[in-house]
Amino acid sequence: MPEKYPNGTVRALLLTNQVTEVTRQALTERLETSYRKPDFFSETAFGLLKAICRRLVPQDENQPHIDIAGGIDERLVQNKSDGWRYDTMPADGEAYKLGLAGVEETASLLFEASFQSLSEEQQDEVLQQIQQEDAPGETWKKLPANRFFEELLAEATTNYYSHPLAQEAIGYVGMADVPGWQRIGLNQLEDREPKEIMINDE
Amino acid sequence: MPYSTSETVDAVVIGTGAGGAPLLARLAAAGLKVVALEAGKHWNPATDFATDEKAQEKLFWTDERLSAGADPIPFGSNNSGIGVGGSTLHYTAYTPRAQPDDLRIRTDFGVGEDWPIPFDQLEPYYDEVEQFLGVSGPSPYLWGPTRKQKYALGPLPINGAGQLMQRGCEQLGIKTSPAANAALSADYYQAGVGHRKACTNRGFCQAGCTTGAKASMDVTYIPLALHHGAEIRPESFVTQLITDGSGKIREVIYVRNGQEERQRCRFVFLCAGTVETARLLLLNGLANSSGQVGRNVMAHTALQIWGEFDEDIRPYKGVPGALISEDTHRPARADFAGGYLLQSIGVMPVTYLSQMARARGLWGQELKRAALAYNHVAGINILGDCLPAVGNYLELADEKDSRQMPKPRVYFSNGENEKRMTAHADKIMRAIWDAAGAKNVWAFPRNAHIIGTCRMGESADAAVVNADGQSFDVPNLYISDNSTFPSALSVNPALTIMALALRTADRFLEQRK
Repeated sequence: MPEKYPNGTVRALLLTNQVTEVTRQALTERLETSYRKPDFFSETAFGLLKAICRRLVPQDENQPHIDIAGGIDERLVQNKSDGWRYDTMPADGEAYKLGLAGVEETASLLFEASFQSLSEEQQDEVLQQIQQEDAPGETWKKLPANRFFEELLAEATTNYYSHPLAQEAIGYVGMADVPGWQRIGLNQLEDREPKEIMINDE
Repeated sequence: MPYSTSETVDAVVIGTGAGGAPLLARLAAAGLKVVALEAGKHWNPATDFATDEKAQEKLFWTDERLSAGADPIPFGSNNSGIGVGGSTLHYTAYTPRAQPDDLRIRTDFGVGEDWPIPFDQLEPYYDEVEQFLGVSGPSPYLWGPTRKQKYALGPLPINGAGQLMQRGCEQLGIKTSPAANAALSADYYQAGVGHRKACTNRGFCQAGCTTGAKASMDVTYIPLALHHGAEIRPESFVTQLITDGSGKIREVIYVRNGQEERQRCRFVFLCAGTVETARLLLLNGLANSSGQVGRNVMAHTALQIWGEFDEDIRPYKGVPGALISEDTHRPARADFAGGYLLQSIGVMPVTYLSQMARARGLWGQELKRAALAYNHVAGINILGDCLPAVGNYLELADEKDSRQMPKPRVYFSNGENEKRMTAHADKIMRAIWDAAGAKNVWAFPRNAHIIGTCRMGESADAAVVNADGQSFDVPNLYISDNSTFPSALSVNPALTIMALALRTADRFLEQRK
């Protein structure tokens, strides 16, 4: 399996005519989005959400940061849905507010401290117990802990890997489709597809 | 040539997907004055569609639905579309035919429902739709009755996932074949539509085709309908069907640009898909003397098995579902009714990773590691029959959406038959992937293609529409979409929806003579 892919591939392709104008616009806008100030969440809740997202999808300190929590806040303030929700869950915004309070409640019951003051291992312990429906707290009697975790994780993953830099990191260049793909079989690469860097190569 | 809302048109068609568009073209070609009302926009794929999953979420029906039952069905990206062309804007264009025995599951197994239409009445329409769309596929085809006509074009090229499935199946003695797919393997011309270019293998079928190679309705039956004088009225969301004293629908009320408009008409063709068709009838208290509207919700068994391979695959290239096997259509010594097909699957990154997050629950460094293997993943999935069950139905919830209309709540739980079929398929697909050299194999349990809610049948007591798609209760109301399927079939539904749409149109036109 690849260890990593070269830096800068998607950013370079975006400057070429191998990407359509409408694709370039969508990806460039995402690349240039700076940090969002919360509209839907309070500053406190938003800080907690960011801390959780850092554990769910850890980011490389040496790379520009991708604002996962900002995307969630933006969707909720616009009252957008992905088209469905579990009938056992309250409306998305309500679920996030309740669930974030639940994370604090569990952190406090397990470690007598706020989530953000915990060590990474302790934070992971809190999140894992929520995912596995083992977490203590009154919140989880009202809100299915595993579903809250699943929804949050799915949205965080979607937001993160929709970003051109995250796509670059996994060697995805499917957006450069103007010439089409002729070499589509096993081990067949076109020139614009980055070669992976294997552990042994380093 | 737009019609005015004050005149009485011959027919209003609600929805422009696989059920609405072919029928619209047929009625217009017969000289009828027809207006199609479509909730979404009329896109220009070349300039409006980005090769980006997030930007393309605009193709999904995102008015919220409530998913209940033991196996809640995800909507949005998978189960319905919006825009002129409906969910064909994001379907994979996988177009296998139903086999004759799919239509008589009760006769053969004593469960489920038979179709009131025999295969030989559908067959000519399959031929017609395949030729019109320009379906690419192998001739002869390995399964089912001998085809009367070859596929319009030869098969599309096989991508990495397809090659791996071929390799695994070969070792297990399972026959495979390039799949039938409604994307063009060569340039194609149709009268009334014009020229369409061959597929460039951009692999983005499920987020919108930018080249017109994929036969979504907006580049096939919709241009044909326009050519014959139909009017398409986009961004028109239907809310009410107004009946007169005789019980016939005389007027359709819809909202466009925030304003309520009305269209007078002689006939209504409801083609809004399993969820919205049933929801509209329930909201209007129509066509439900049988009590069957909203009942019999079915969803294909659709388990996916993913694996990582040493080979470089780059799963974003080529049509996602390149290879098929129907050897499991009626497996020997099976402990369930019906059967399923197997298909190889390529995948776009966000779709893959978000469903992996849900199914495997991976996060932290584990998620990052699994994501780094994206270029080395390939999948197989099944599409299998699903039996109707009393507990699987759609109802109107008390909760209102942004239009102040009740949200639909859909109950779904896999029954014993679906569970056994899925277990059977799980074993076979894992064996195929083992033989092909997969590592880190994992399963994504799911159901796809929501079907049912307005069953077609022979009796007004037990069905919503007759075999022609005509309502038993409201004589000038027809339904043409996947809501009328009496059984789920063991294949992707789109081709059958289109074939049935043309049949419904023809039966309607014959009766008016």
